[in-house]
Amino acid sequence: MTTTLQHAPTKAGGGLARRQNFLTALISGVVFAWLAWYIGRHTLDTTTRSFSDQVAVLTACGWTVGFWFGIGALNGPGRWLTGRDHTRADDLYYAGENQGRARYWKYCTDHKVVGVQYIIMTMVLLGTGGILAMAIRTQLLTPGNHFVDQQVYNGFIAVHGMLMILALIVAVAGPWANFVVPIMIGAHDMAFPRLNALSLWTLVAAAGLLLTTLAVGSLPVGWVVLAPISNQAGVGMDFFAMAIIVFTVSTTVAGINTIATVMTLRTKGMTLSRLPIFVWGSVIAAALGLYAFPYFLTVEAIQILDRTVSTSFFVATGGGAGWLQANLFWLMGHPEVYVILIPAVAALFEIAAVMSRKPVFSYRTAIAGMTGLAGLSILVWAHHMFTTGWAPTLGGPFMLTTELISIPTGLFFLVLLGTLWRGNIWMKLPTLWLFGFVFNFIIAGITGIYLSDIPIDNQLHGTMFVTAHFHYVFVGSVLFGAIAALAFWFPKVSGRYLDETQGKISFWLVFIGVQVTFLAMFTSGLRGMPRRYSSYSMIFEHTNFVTTMGAYMIMAGMLVLLGAVISSWRKGEPSGPNPWQANSLEWLVPTPPPLENFDVLPTIKEDPYNFGGKR
Amino acid sequence: MATNKKHSLTGFYWLWFALTVVGVIISIWAPAYLMPQSMSSNMNLTILTMVVFSVAAAPVAAGVYAATAYLLRHNIYRGNSVPPAAEVQTRENARLTIGWVLASTLLTVFLLIWGLGALTVDNGGNESNPLVVNVTGQQWLWSFSYAGTHVESNTLVLPLDREVVFHITSKDVTHGFWIAQMGIQVDANAGAITELHTTPNKLGTFDIRCTQFCGLNHAFMVTQGQVMTTQGFDNWLAAQPQRA
Amino acid sequence: MATNTLTAQHEEHHDGGHHEPPAKVYGRQKMAMWLFIGGDIITMSAMLFTYLYLRGLNTQNHWMSMVGLPVDKVHTYSYYENLSDIPTQHLIHVAPMSPSFNWLVTGVVVVSALIFWAAERNLRKTKNRAAFTWSAVLATLIIVVAAVLSIVQLRHLPQIFVAKNDSHTLSYTAYSSSMMVIIGSALVHFILLAYLGLAMVIRSARGVLTGEKWHHAGLVRLFWVWVAVSGVIVSAITTTVNVH
Repeated sequence: MTTTLQHAPTKAGGGLARRQNFLTALISGVVFAWLAWYIGRHTLDTTTRSFSDQVAVLTACGWTVGFWFGIGALNGPGRWLTGRDHTRADDLYYAGENQGRARYWKYCTDHKVVGVQYIIMTMVLLGTGGILAMAIRTQLLTPGNHFVDQQVYNGFIAVHGMLMILALIVAVAGPWANFVVPIMIGAHDMAFPRLNALSLWTLVAAAGLLLTTLAVGSLPVGWVVLAPISNQAGVGMDFFAMAIIVFTVSTTVAGINTIATVMTLRTKGMTLSRLPIFVWGSVIAAALGLYAFPYFLTVEAIQILDRTVSTSFFVATGGGAGWLQANLFWLMGHPEVYVILIPAVAALFEIAAVMSRKPVFSYRTAIAGMTGLAGLSILVWAHHMFTTGWAPTLGGPFMLTTELISIPTGLFFLVLLGTLWRGNIWMKLPTLWLFGFVFNFIIAGITGIYLSDIPIDNQLHGTMFVTAHFHYVFVGSVLFGAIAALAFWFPKVSGRYLDETQGKISFWLVFIGVQVTFLAMFTSGLRGMPRRYSSYSMIFEHTNFVTTMGAYMIMAGMLVLLGAVISSWRKGEPSGPNPWQANSLEWLVPTPPPLENFDVLPTIKEDPYNFGGKR
Repeated sequence: MATNKKHSLTGFYWLWFALTVVGVIISIWAPAYLMPQSMSSNMNLTILTMVVFSVAAAPVAAGVYAATAYLLRHNIYRGNSVPPAAEVQTRENARLTIGWVLASTLLTVFLLIWGLGALTVDNGGNESNPLVVNVTGQQWLWSFSYAGTHVESNTLVLPLDREVVFHITSKDVTHGFWIAQMGIQVDANAGAITELHTTPNKLGTFDIRCTQFCGLNHAFMVTQGQVMTTQGFDNWLAAQPQRA
Repeated sequence: MATNTLTAQHEEHHDGGHHEPPAKVYGRQKMAMWLFIGGDIITMSAMLFTYLYLRGLNTQNHWMSMVGLPVDKVHTYSYYENLSDIPTQHLIHVAPMSPSFNWLVTGVVVVSALIFWAAERNLRKTKNRAAFTWSAVLATLIIVVAAVLSIVQLRHLPQIFVAKNDSHTLSYTAYSSSMMVIIGSALVHFILLAYLGLAMVIRSARGVLTGEKWHHAGLVRLFWVWVAVSGVIVSAITTTVNVH
């Protein structure tokens, strides 16, 4: 085949990508999945016990590859392989130049489009997980209630957990490390724009697999993908594990991209000590994610091997152990909590400074706190295993490392309160959610200290107390931080304020809902109700009823927020380019920021926290 | 509106003190009230530790809440547009930072020392002739066999004031063996034996609940046990059918 | 007030930064490659953790050999709950894979890495495109050989026959399992290298590997050498931490 590429320099860019979008990705994903399923069914040995699992894994692979192919993720690698690299025109096409809204449905490399796509993905994941949460709480409304089948309920527990974890991993880092960070550091785009699009669309592929698990079967594994019970689960487990593997690809790619961007694309004068604090948070979280998620990849890969080719990683009769799964999972699982938390906290530092018209209090302490937390988090994994019976002699050392965590966490309070202290606090939506965070995070932290203590953990582990504790972390703290960040940067994305009135209604519903739900859940746990129960005895009746009512309240609040986002995006009050009068670069470019952000890269002379008062 | 004047901190200190007092009262009252009635020294220790940690945490939480209240009272800007720069533009306060780190380190060290001490006491078990009970979990029930006898039972009966050692394993997936009134918990793992010690110190019934997710009927893997006098226990044991 | 104004300073190149010096681009891409290798190191650690964990757990059975038998005498070994139930005709005999086989594969990979390294070095120095193309062909072919060898290795992992009451199945023991994930991961890397090698061949042949894009060969070399190094590490550990 002759190529005319060299002879036609004026040819418009894009190539195959002109025909690719979300719809072709869906079609191609389904077709490839069907092909893989068909080939699997007709070539694999139907007599083995693992036959259906092998077919399921093949199908999941087919979906992922097909989705990548259909969205255009494989165009770049294909062209690189054959030496027909992207031209400038191609790059501009991929960046969505002059494509209007259609670019939001495409493999778009513009970091601002990717940021918006991440906002939408976060809302989809949170919404689906929230619906499952409502189903779970409705099941637990009264003792012996049968809202859903017990087996379906068990699947809901797993998928609710995993959806919410994925949603929160991307809730702050996804939208804002993409939309805001490149502008904050004075760059035209991320270091690797195509990898940026890859991370987003790989997340979409993973979400598709995760939702498939709901359709194909029960999943008695919890969000921690417990083994060896995972070997009993149906084919839903194969899709679940594949979803996680695909997701780790997405986060790894995103993490590499974020770090490389901040390390190499800072504009002139943007020294490390002048970086907005949110950039630091994004980089630290990305680095921690790069450390953590390979464990996740490995543990899910070997869970798949156990199910498809009869290995014995978790089978005691073959020399394996469930403790292996627990170790690998929590080697990932604890750092992951801080991959989620750190960007939210860093965003709140930013918000606190701008909204109180004061510099971030003790900038270096803030960095030290985040770095210390990230460093410690890789040494604490076995505190999730105090009651598993694995290595009881290691209990003391892991108790030590775990309790040390309260020192960097304490620094977060110092920085937040120190920044607000004697400030001129502008009580807008971001600030409101910031105060909600402070209130909830202290409860999350203190209840964590109980659980780090082995004698107490021997009583409370595996009960609703633990569930309530980490919901105070994830809902009470991280979600509040994420919503504050949304309210803060929403004007930059849409050119409009997030509606104050609806936002306030939503805040009070969610804030009170969180207290009602999870304080009652603490009580259930203290009284002795284990987690992941589909039914319970009469002694837990009242606290569970209260929890369910609180949960409905949270849902109502989140729906109001969703309404606020949609209506404000369409016809909210215009905000201008810099509604909060902040100094960091993202506020100094027009709204919406043009393609490639800056005509001329700026030169930085000081950090963005000089609001003009006395030093 | 000049809202960033230096306000007196007296109110803040009073609020901090008052909230601490409230926190301490709740700390002392809540654990014993909310948690199951203790039937072993382990559970006594757990409840005591809960109280101590809560009391230690009370001033921290109270401080944060008092500071938040102070900010909300004095530092909210009431204007409609962007507030002016705050009068104080503090970037660092080395003494405060060091003090903060020192205070949190001291608290952590205290929690740690208490925790390690409690852990040693909790794991203690040195009676020369403990009762050994082999516990086996399977989907979805527990069975107990008494070492040195041929008794196997689906209910757990324990004698008062004698140390019990549980050897715990599972026939299938991982289960969690937890006696809610005795503050002891460990997983039952296939292919491994885990161990627990306790000494029941109160007569009555207790609840065994599975704390590790084990599938369809996880929520129904509950059993009641009973602590009897030594005499009652011996009678019960003798009355049990002997396994072949 | 804000001094970070956007128009205060103008850069020399007014082209949107899309014609950065190649060295800068190379530096950025090299950093990304190092970060990717960093993630890969963690993956390798997770697999070695798995290997060592299972090794520590299986000091008696489920490893290379039955207790008391030298490694080379064991052709198959079985786990079963009811000895009498095993129909002997179902026992399959798989030759035990020598752990040194890993060294063979690793040796092949090291050779290919050295060839590619030399080729890339030569390209950097002399810009001799033809020599690079043929060296890349050779290195790629060798990596394909390594991939085939590791497939052979996977097919010869010892399986065991497990009979449990009325059902029976073939399965992999702890040793074979942990080797399978390690070899499988190596295979994935070889396939990736084959893709990169093929790309190098095509790009070099088409003359794209010049000018600003010569450094793509450097990036591929970085990954190639890392795969060889990881092979050496893994082989060293799996052959030494092995027999009883």
